[in-house]
Amino acid sequence: MTAEAPPLLQVRGITKEYPGVRALGGVDFDVRAAEVHCLLGPNGAGKSTLIKCVSGVVAPTDGEILVDGEPLPTGEPSESLARGVATIYQELDLVADLTVAESIFLGHEPRRAGLLNRDHMRDRTKALLERLDHGDIPPDAHVRTLRPAAQQVVSIARALSHNARLLILDEPSAILDDHEIDTLFKVVRRLQEEGVGMIYISHRLDEISRIGNRVTVLVDGKTVVSGLPADTPPSELVLHMVGRRVEQLFPERAVPRKDEVVLEVRDLSRAPDVQPASFVVHAGEVLGIGGLVGAGRTELVRLIYGLEQPDTGEVLVDGRRLPRGRAAAAIAAGLGMAPEDRKSQGLLLDWDLTRNVSLADLGSYVRGVLINGRSERKAAAEQLRALNTKPDDPDRLARELSGGNQQKVVLARWLMRNCRVLIFDEPTRGVDVGAKQEIYRLISELAKTGIAVVMVSSETEELLGLSSRILVMREGAIVAELDGATTDEVELLSHAVAHTDTSPILEEAP
Amino acid sequence: MMLTRFAVCVGVVLTLGLASCGGDDDGGGDSGTDTSTKTQTAQSSEGQGGTVKIAVSVPAADHGWLKAVSDDAKKAADDLGDQVEFTMNDSATSSAEQADQIETLINGKPDAIAILPFEGGALTPVAQKATAAGIPVINIDREFSTPGAYRTWIGGDNYGIGWQAGNYFADELKCQGNVVEIQGLAGISVTEDRSKGFADAIKQRCQDGIKVVARQPADFAPDKGLSVMENILEAQKQIDGVYTHDDDMAEGVVAAIENAGREGDMFLTGAGGSKAAMDQIEAGGLYRATFLYNPTMAASAVNLANLIARGEPMKDLTEPEVPSRIQVPATTVTKENVADHKDLAY
Amino acid sequence: MTAPTAARRRIPALPFGAGRAELQEYALVGVVALLLIAGAILEPDTFLTSDNMLNVLRQASIVGVVAIGMTFVIATAGIDLSVGSMVAAAGVLGGQFADSGSLMFVLGAFAMGVLLGGVNAAAIAYGRVVPFIATLAMFTMARGLALWISDKTPVSIFNLDFVRWFGTGEIVGIPSAIFVFLGVTAIGWMLLNRTRYGRYVVAVGGNREAARIAGVKVQRIIFSVYVLSGICCAIAAILLCGRLSSASPVAGNLLELDAIAAVVIGGTALSGGRATIVGTFLGVLTFALIFNLLTIMNLAVEIQQVTKGVIILVAVLIQRKQN
Repeated sequence: MTAEAPPLLQVRGITKEYPGVRALGGVDFDVRAAEVHCLLGPNGAGKSTLIKCVSGVVAPTDGEILVDGEPLPTGEPSESLARGVATIYQELDLVADLTVAESIFLGHEPRRAGLLNRDHMRDRTKALLERLDHGDIPPDAHVRTLRPAAQQVVSIARALSHNARLLILDEPSAILDDHEIDTLFKVVRRLQEEGVGMIYISHRLDEISRIGNRVTVLVDGKTVVSGLPADTPPSELVLHMVGRRVEQLFPERAVPRKDEVVLEVRDLSRAPDVQPASFVVHAGEVLGIGGLVGAGRTELVRLIYGLEQPDTGEVLVDGRRLPRGRAAAAIAAGLGMAPEDRKSQGLLLDWDLTRNVSLADLGSYVRGVLINGRSERKAAAEQLRALNTKPDDPDRLARELSGGNQQKVVLARWLMRNCRVLIFDEPTRGVDVGAKQEIYRLISELAKTGIAVVMVSSETEELLGLSSRILVMREGAIVAELDGATTDEVELLSHAVAHTDTSPILEEAP
Repeated sequence: MMLTRFAVCVGVVLTLGLASCGGDDDGGGDSGTDTSTKTQTAQSSEGQGGTVKIAVSVPAADHGWLKAVSDDAKKAADDLGDQVEFTMNDSATSSAEQADQIETLINGKPDAIAILPFEGGALTPVAQKATAAGIPVINIDREFSTPGAYRTWIGGDNYGIGWQAGNYFADELKCQGNVVEIQGLAGISVTEDRSKGFADAIKQRCQDGIKVVARQPADFAPDKGLSVMENILEAQKQIDGVYTHDDDMAEGVVAAIENAGREGDMFLTGAGGSKAAMDQIEAGGLYRATFLYNPTMAASAVNLANLIARGEPMKDLTEPEVPSRIQVPATTVTKENVADHKDLAY
Repeated sequence: MTAPTAARRRIPALPFGAGRAELQEYALVGVVALLLIAGAILEPDTFLTSDNMLNVLRQASIVGVVAIGMTFVIATAGIDLSVGSMVAAAGVLGGQFADSGSLMFVLGAFAMGVLLGGVNAAAIAYGRVVPFIATLAMFTMARGLALWISDKTPVSIFNLDFVRWFGTGEIVGIPSAIFVFLGVTAIGWMLLNRTRYGRYVVAVGGNREAARIAGVKVQRIIFSVYVLSGICCAIAAILLCGRLSSASPVAGNLLELDAIAAVVIGGTALSGGRATIVGTFLGVLTFALIFNLLTIMNLAVEIQQVTKGVIILVAVLIQRKQN
C-alpha cells in the first residue's frame, strides 16, 4: 500500500437514477490493492446498484470511477473486465452442466487453429485452482456435482482467469455454512497475499471484523461513513446503518408450555436425506434446528409439512395423525411454512401483495362460488400493516419489495390462518438488520400466543438468541438436543461437525 | 473419453451399413432364378410366368380421394390374385416419411413399384434410386420432376379439368357473369393447372365476359371451404357461379351458400368425382357438375405394374411395350350422364 | 430503492379487466379498432356491415371457444397441441350416433372431448409427461381416431335440427353460435378471475412450488385444465358440425396454432402465471377480422399468412417489454 500509487479503485460521487427512483445519490469510496474492503448497508441501500456500476452492467447517471487512477468507461462490462474488475454474484453465474474447466473458460476458451485446446484449458484450470489452495477439484468434474462452497471457488477461479485484480464478492457467505466460510476466508487471504483487492458485501457483522480491513456503510444510496477500520465495534456499525442504537437484537426468549404438545414427530425418515427422527414441540416453544448445509434440516421440515413422501414414521398435530405426503392436509391441520427461498418457493413475484397473502386462505373470502375481492384486499392490508411492511399497499407487486419486506408478506400469509405450527426455514436470509429485528420480535410474539415454532437456521446467533431448545442435525440424523439459553456456539458447532471431518469436496447435490 | 464414444458410434454405424449391404436373398418366389439376372430390367421378350412382386406407395389418406386411391389399388391387387405378391404403404404423412418407406420397399426387391408421391419434386431422388436399382417405377398422378425417374406416368388431367370446367361455365352462363373460384392447396401443380385451364377456357370462349371476382384457397378441407366462402359471400353480392377444385372441399362451400340462403342465385361445380357430389348432381339444384379425376388410376397403375414386371404389352395396343405416358381424361359429369359414372365414384 | 415510487406504470382499471388492465389488452383494442377503420376505408360497402360483423363473430366462435380452454392450459405453463384433432374426433364420434338424434350427438361429442382431454390430463398431471409431447401424441392419435371411426368419410348430420340450429340458427337476429361463444367467454372469465379455482390455476403456472407450499392441489389443477380444454373442443365441434351439416374427420387442421396465437397475442404468458380471458377474446377477434378483411379484398393467401405472423411477433415483443 504505497503512498504514491493511486488506489486500485476510486468511486467518486456516483449517482444512479431510474425513472421515479434514485438508487444512488452520491457514493464515494476507494479500495486499495491487497485490501478487503467491506460494504455494509440495509437492503435497498444501493449496494447491488453500486456493484453493477463498477462492473459495467449499468452506467451511472453521474460521477466517475477510476481504476489505477485511470477513468473507467462506464456501462460496458467488457471494459470493466478488461481492466481487471470481476464480480462473484450471490447466485453463482456458472452453468451446471459444464465441467469446471469449461465453466472457467466460458467465453474466452483457449484455442488452437480454431478448435478448443482442451489440454491447455485443463492445465490452466489446475494452475488457477492451485492458487486458491483447491487443487483437489478435478477440472473435468461437472459443476453440478460440486458442493456450493466448491462451486464458489470455481467462480472465483473464473474471475482470476480474466486476470482480475479487483474482486467483488456479493454476500459470498450466504450459501455457506460455518465450516465452509473458514475455507472461503482462506481463499480471500490467499488472494490478498497476491495483491488482489476485494470488495466484500455481507450482512454478517462478525465476518467484517474477521476478514475485513476497512468498512464502508451505505444507506439510502449514499455513503454514510467510509474507510472505518474493520475492528470498529458492531454496535457502532449498526448505529450508522440503522440510525439508532440497537442494543438488543433479540427479544426475550419464548417460554414453552411444557404440558401442551402441539407437534409430535415419530420415526420420520426418507432415505438418504433424513434418518428416522423423533421429537416434540410444545405450545409457545421455539425449536431451533441447526447443522451444516446438507445436514438434512430442510428435508426434514419438508417431510413434516408433507411436501415429500416419507419412507417411515408419522406426524401428529394436537394428537391427530396427518396423512403422509399431503401438504394440503398439513395446512388444513394448522401447519404453515415460510420456505428457504422466498422468491422461488414462497412468493409469486408477479402477483400483487393481496393475492400473495390470501393464497393459503382463499376460502375465507368466498361468497358462494365467487371471491369477494374487497374483503380479501382489506384483510391483506390489515395484516401487512400489522407486520409493519413497507410499503403496505396491497396492490403493489411482490417483486417490488425488499427482501425483509418480502419475508413479511410470506409470514402475513400464514398469520391470516391462525396456524398451530409455524415452520421457518432460514427466516432472515438476505434480510437487513432492521427487518431482522422485527422478524425476531414477531417470532417471539407468535410463540407467546401458543403457536409452536420450528426454526431452521444457519446463523448460530439466531439459533442461540431465539430458541428454547436446539436440535442439531448431522448427515441426516438428529445428533443432539441442546438448551437454547445455556448452550453456545462451540457446543453447537462441535455437534454439527463430525470429529474427523472427511467430507469430500465432491458430493451429490442434495 | 469423447474419442472412444465417437469411435463406438462410428463402429456401430459401419457394422449396420455392412450388414444391410448383404441383404436377404429371398426374391419374389421366382424359383431358381438368381438375383443378378432379376436386377436386369425385366423387359425380356418372353413373359415370365409365376408371381411378380409389386410394391405400392401412396400418402396417408386425409381426403376421400386418397382413401379411394388406396382402396382401388388394393382391390386391383386382389383381383389379380395369385399373379402378384402385393405390398402397400399408405401411412406416410410427409415427403420425408414416404421417402423412407420407399427405401424400405426398394430393399425388398420388388419387380415393379407404383408411387403416388406426396410431392413430386421431393420424391424424385428416391424414384431415381429405384430406377437405378432396376426396379421400374410407375408414377401416379403427381409427376416427378425428371422423366428419367420413372418408366410410366399415369395421371389425371388437371389442366383438362380446368379447361372443361371453363367451357361448362361459358355454356351455362352464356359468357356473362361473376364467378368465384375456390382452389385447393395453394402453390401445388394440381392447383396451378386447374386454375390455368379454367382461365384459358373462359378467355378463349368469352374474352372478358366472365369475371373471376374472387379466388381463394381452402386447402381441400371442408371447414376451410366453409369459412372462406362465408367471407366471400359477404364481399360479393352478385355471384353467378362457383368453381371449386375439389368435391370434398366443396361440401363446406355448399354449406356456406345454403346457410346464407343464396343457393338459388348461383350454381357450383366440383372436381374429383365423389359419391356425395354425384348424389347431389343427380338430385339437381346448387351442385350442377363435377369433373372426374378418377382414383381408379391407382388400380390401373397396379395393373400396369403387373404388365411391366412381366414385360408384357397392353392388350389392344400394337406396340410391344406399355406406353410411357397415360393420361386419364377428365370427364364432365352432369345430371345427364351421372348415372353412367356413379359406379366409379369414391 | 429509496423513494417508494412504483417501478411499473399502472393503468387505471377498466371495467372488464380483472381489476387492472394490462398494456397488452389496450394495445389489442387499438389493433381491432385499426382493423375496423382500415376495413371501412378499403371495402366500404361490404366490410363494416352488420351482416359481415355478425359473420366475423360467428366464424370466430369456433376458434374462440377452443381458445378460452387453451387460456386455462397456458395459464398453468402448459400447452395443448391436440385441440384441432380433438374437435374432429369429437364431431365424428357424435356423428356415429346421428341416427339416434341430436341429444345423442351432443353427448357423444362431449364424451369424446372429456375422454381425450382426460388422457392428456392423466399423462401430464400424473404421468409427468411434458405437455408439449403428450399433446403432440394426442394430436396424431385423435386425428387417427377421427379418420378411423369415420372410415375417412364425413358423416352427414343434416337431419339433426337441434345441432344445426347451433351452427345456423339465430336469436333476435344474432347467430346462436355467437351466444355460445359469449357465454363460454363469460363463464371462462368468471372462473379465472373470480373463483378460487381460477386463482389456483394461475398460481400453478406462476410458481408451482410456491403454490404447492401454500396448499394448492397442484396435480388436480393441472389435470382439470386439460379436461376443460377437451370440453371446449367438444363445444366447438358441435358449432362446427352444425354449420357444416356434417362431421368431417379432416376438420380443425392447424386449429391449435390459431388458438395458441390468439391466446398469446391476447397477453396470456406462455410461461404461465398471467392469463387474461379478455385478451384471448380480443386476440380471436383480431385474427378473425384479418382473415375476413383479406379474403374480402381477395388478397393472396401468402399475404394473410405473413400478416398473421407479423402480428404475433409484435404482440410477443410487447409482452416482453412488460416483463
